Amino acid sequence: MAGGRSLAAYIVARILLAIPMLIILLTAVFLILRVLPGDPILALWGGHTPPQATLDEARRALGLDQPWWVQYWNYLTGILRGQLGTSIGELYRGQPVWFQISERLPATFEIAIGAMLVASGVGVLAGVTAGARRDTKVDVALRLYGTIIWVIPIFWLGLLLQLVFGVWLRWLPPHGRWTGADFPVRVTGLYTIDSLLEGNFDHFAKAVAHLVLPSLTLGLVLSGFFTKTVRANMMRTITADYTDAARARGIPRRLIVYRHAFKNALVPVVTLLGLQFAILFAGAVLTEKTFSIEGIGVLLLNSITSKDMTMIQGVVVVYAAIIVVVSLVVDVLGAVIDPRIRL
Amino acid sequence: MELESPEQPKPAGAAAGSRRLLAIVAVIIVIAVVGSAAYILTLPPAVKKYPLELWYNNDGHYGATEENLATVLKSSIESCGHVTVTLKSDTWAAYKQRWAAGQMPVFLLGWYPDYFDTDDYVSPFLSTAGAKSLGSFYTNASMDTLINNEQVAITDAGRAENFTKIQNGLAADVPYVPLFSGVAQAAFVNGVTNVELHPVVFKWSIIGKTGFAQLNASTSDKIISLDPASAYDFFSIEVINQVFDTLLVYEPVTSKLLPGLATTIPTVANGGISNGGKTYTYHLRPGVTFSDGTAFNSSVVKRAIDRAIRLDLPASAAFLLYDVGALRADHKGGNNTVAGTITTPDALTVQFNLTSPVSFFNQLMAFSVAAPVPWTYSSTKEQPSTVGSVVGTGPYKMTQHTVNQLVVLQKNPTYYNAGLYASFSIPSIPVMGQVNINIRSSSTILKQDIETKAVDVVFRTLTPTDLTDLQNRATTLGITVKLGASPQIRYLVINQNTITDKRVRQAIAYSVNRADINRIVFNNQVTALYSMVPPAMPFASPVFQGAYGDANCTAANALFAKIGYGLMQPVLWIARDN
Repeated sequence: MAGGRSLAAYIVARILLAIPMLIILLTAVFLILRVLPGDPILALWGGHTPPQATLDEARRALGLDQPWWVQYWNYLTGILRGQLGTSIGELYRGQPVWFQISERLPATFEIAIGAMLVASGVGVLAGVTAGARRDTKVDVALRLYGTIIWVIPIFWLGLLLQLVFGVWLRWLPPHGRWTGADFPVRVTGLYTIDSLLEGNFDHFAKAVAHLVLPSLTLGLVLSGFFTKTVRANMMRTITADYTDAARARGIPRRLIVYRHAFKNALVPVVTLLGLQFAILFAGAVLTEKTFSIEGIGVLLLNSITSKDMTMIQGVVVVYAAIIVVVSLVVDVLGAVIDPRIRL
Repeated sequence: MELESPEQPKPAGAAAGSRRLLAIVAVIIVIAVVGSAAYILTLPPAVKKYPLELWYNNDGHYGATEENLATVLKSSIESCGHVTVTLKSDTWAAYKQRWAAGQMPVFLLGWYPDYFDTDDYVSPFLSTAGAKSLGSFYTNASMDTLINNEQVAITDAGRAENFTKIQNGLAADVPYVPLFSGVAQAAFVNGVTNVELHPVVFKWSIIGKTGFAQLNASTSDKIISLDPASAYDFFSIEVINQVFDTLLVYEPVTSKLLPGLATTIPTVANGGISNGGKTYTYHLRPGVTFSDGTAFNSSVVKRAIDRAIRLDLPASAAFLLYDVGALRADHKGGNNTVAGTITTPDALTVQFNLTSPVSFFNQLMAFSVAAPVPWTYSSTKEQPSTVGSVVGTGPYKMTQHTVNQLVVLQKNPTYYNAGLYASFSIPSIPVMGQVNINIRSSSTILKQDIETKAVDVVFRTLTPTDLTDLQNRATTLGITVKLGASPQIRYLVINQNTITDKRVRQAIAYSVNRADINRIVFNNQVTALYSMVPPAMPFASPVFQGAYGDANCTAANALFAKIGYGLMQPVLWIARDN
């Protein structure tokens, strides 16, 4: 009972901490966008300047004629009401921000989930192997792998994989989320899930095939971090007292490694997942651009270049919300696995 | 023991040592002075260089070659030795604001014509209002008069005389330096037919692929808006041209006009142009319907033009109607056209009464902003670019639009003009029942598309390097790479408010090296441009070729020397003179 209460208190505390974090982030984004030089209304018209009355009307319609604090208040209260506003940029002009985000979020989610599977699968396996074979040739090779793959630019690796598997070997589609016009019927927007829901396995295979290269690109880069972290933790746990005790009792090495050292080495890795998710989303921008996938990363990129303030704010809000929620879930998961965290 | 007196003379050996030391110091000083003098005298003369800021766009608005282009320009201008060029860049959104605010002294820009007339290569650049909106701030009352004269002249002879004077004035004042015309490009798999690099519209409706029901294509262009009242970017207009017809349309290969929704092209001879060129009358085809089944008539045409003018949507081409097209809008009275400007004598006749003659009004009526839209289109705001909301009279209707991913065009079953190009050996359009145009995020992906034959046609914009590579491997890949002249022009804008001395602008014109640009940046795929009017247009005259040529450093330096930039006298001479 006491443990349950402390866990609940921990969750409430984390949620309460997330609120000021979000407000600070939203305020920073709001201020940065208004401090940056340039007028978004003039940017819309560009070279051809319409009559002043037209410009004033456009400014009024978008609420940009209000003092900044009024705009800030409208912005915050709008978010609380779930209204992210309407795009004012050249590319998405007049379209609801949430519509554009919701159209693209599934693409980013699919890449993120695929990449996380690759990163954790490859990273954990490589880390455990390296940690269990400390200072052997395998360890050196995997350490090198961890360092090199972590610093490889995502777009470079992406282009390499596209060239080899997409263009030369033609095993996988080199880019995009889909080929052709026969999209799966939209339910969740996740092509893999939607194709399964409609019971079309050809569509499912097509969706997965399009997902392989971007997930591999982003996942492999992130696996470097996992490799190094898991290896370090493995080395710590493999020399811990409880593994010594297990060894003294004559338990086989394989069992010691995978039943005792490995399990305990994973605990800190789980807590790092939250941080990795933020890096994952940043990496998704480059991955989406490289593979011509219309996710929210590309949406953010396009919005920044067209000075679409409302769209940038909306995307950042969604990014922040996702990362806060994921961090929260991971922290709670960590607290459940390791009771010391909530003490 | 005797103490040594301070006055006691130094021994002879010590005095000799001091003299030797003095002599050595003196020799060193003499050597240093002579050496320094010799060094200074052999130095190349100091040069006072003109500082120039050259700006370019850095987020791909003009493709991936822009930085290279700016670098080659910097190199060619600096190579004459009298200018120091500082390169600066910005994103497109900021770039547009910078030129409107007059913050860029010299910058790279491009132009794709709206209406296909020589005027569209002149008035936007050299009229006072146009030059202001394009950042050169050029203003010349004589030039304004010449432009007005060519716009109102109905005969070719009258226009020719004015265009000659206009281009000569351009070369004399140098508010712009024309650089090159772009290259139109498409790559397609063997078996695809009728891929024409039309100067105005890439006609998807004439492309065929024997034995197939669908055509798959890809482009790296984006769709901004599919409302004719709003669209003013290349690919949006491209899609609009497939879904909407205009009163007049273009032939499949050339820029010659054909009747579209109108039955004839108005001319003075057939009475369609009257009142000294101020009234244009169009007779409309009977029995035409929009793809949603609603009727097309003169009221629809009037309402569509009025709507575009009244909305005057941001970044739209509405100004071509109310300003360039002399239909005028009452900006103080709800932005509507003045009563009587557009009249509908009957259901199949529409008449435009312009405030002044516009010699290219027919070309304006062939531009997407003048495309008739049905009554269902919102009269207060932009029409969404979604399936069901985009309704036209053209050969295709849009059946799918996944933003920035895919647009699907299917044959419009109610299309009124299937035999439009029958006399051009294309019996019926659209040739393909369905065209799927994939929208890609980069030119690299376009190249992959055609290499792997994931699509049948790749249209805009492959990089020069990729085009050359594909050309070299075309036979192996089983594809055709087609290049042609593009109506797009690229040029340098020189801000008259910042660089007020005409001689500096002329010196820049002298020092530009177009051959280097073509060879280094574009693999010899573009065409050097010596007037803002490209050579394919009527009345074009390559005035910059005769006046300035290329890489003429002698002439450039002579001008810089006259205004105090160039060789300076060596320091020693200055000292002597003083």
